Amino acid sequence: MSVVGAVRESAVRRIAYAVLAAAVRGRGERGGDWGEAVLAEFAETTGDREAVRWAAGGLRAVWHERRARTRELPRIVRIRRRAVLITLIAVVAGLAVNRFVLTVGYQESGSMEPTYLVADRYVVDLAAFRLTGVQRGDVVEFTMPDTDRLVVKRVIGLPGDTVDCRDGRVWLNGAPLDEPYLSADPESARTEGCTATTVESHRLYLLGDHRLVSMDSRQYGAVDEDAVHGRVLLRLTAGGV
Amino acid sequence: MPRIPHTSPQTLLLFSTLLDEPQRWRYGYDLSRETSLASGTLYPILMRLTEQKLLETGWEPSDEPGRPPRHLYRLTAEGAALAEQRLAAKAARPRTLGPAIQARTA
Repeated sequence: MSVVGAVRESAVRRIAYAVLAAAVRGRGERGGDWGEAVLAEFAETTGDREAVRWAAGGLRAVWHERRARTRELPRIVRIRRRAVLITLIAVVAGLAVNRFVLTVGYQESGSMEPTYLVADRYVVDLAAFRLTGVQRGDVVEFTMPDTDRLVVKRVIGLPGDTVDCRDGRVWLNGAPLDEPYLSADPESARTEGCTATTVESHRLYLLGDHRLVSMDSRQYGAVDEDAVHGRVLLRLTAGGV
Repeated sequence: MPRIPHTSPQTLLLFSTLLDEPQRWRYGYDLSRETSLASGTLYPILMRLTEQKLLETGWEPSDEPGRPPRHLYRLTAEGAALAEQRLAAKAARPRTLGPAIQARTA
């Protein structure tokens, strides 16, 4: 039984042989001795199952052979290879974390003063808030409706809440809201210009801490939760001054 | 305590198979069948034994066109001695033997 004959038997066997041959030889004509040895015995196997098992084990053997060959390389080459590999993994992991887990944002307006000043940087959680949900008082980063700007505001009302303001204060579900994070200066903390709103499901009522200047749900209404990009965890640097 | 080399159940299984006919050259596939070790287990052991000069290898020239030469294995004198010694040492402590080896070494 020739190799060609054996391999022609079924698609599964053909694929198993091709994978093993690719692992052994790569782009070259001939692979390592041990890889070739496993490959030469492939024709002895009978049936799809055995062929696949043989090829799978062969991959492991090839991996062993490769590793043994790597061990014979000069120390400096191995160290350099490892350093390159580690750097590569670190960069990829770092980019993935920055994209999906934690990232840093930049505060470009004064609408969250005094909590976040202009030019502050802050850490944003991009993943965990999706599991835990957001709560009243959390600060979230989201895309401002009808723009592509990422901005930061505080969550005042959750779905089902009624938000209003009277006498310069926010009223949540019929009671005045205690807001210790607002500025001590009553002029900038004074909340004006909202219309009584009941927050729809999957929306958030968001206000900036600097009520005098902030553009927020008072202008564009409750924000769709899909627009929320992350939850601000902490202020990183004192910017501005 | 450092591990004694060449005492794993898989290696002992291979030793006992090779010792059946110590002079004969064996094919990898046949060894795999006789020991029921998967190729991924068998070949790393063969590599290790060869590296330590316990096993000698050879290529059987191809007799058909289109067929690659096959790799052959045989214990060296040193390898055979070590194999005997390891199997005897295991037999002296039968508690730890797997059923497959027990069957072969009984």
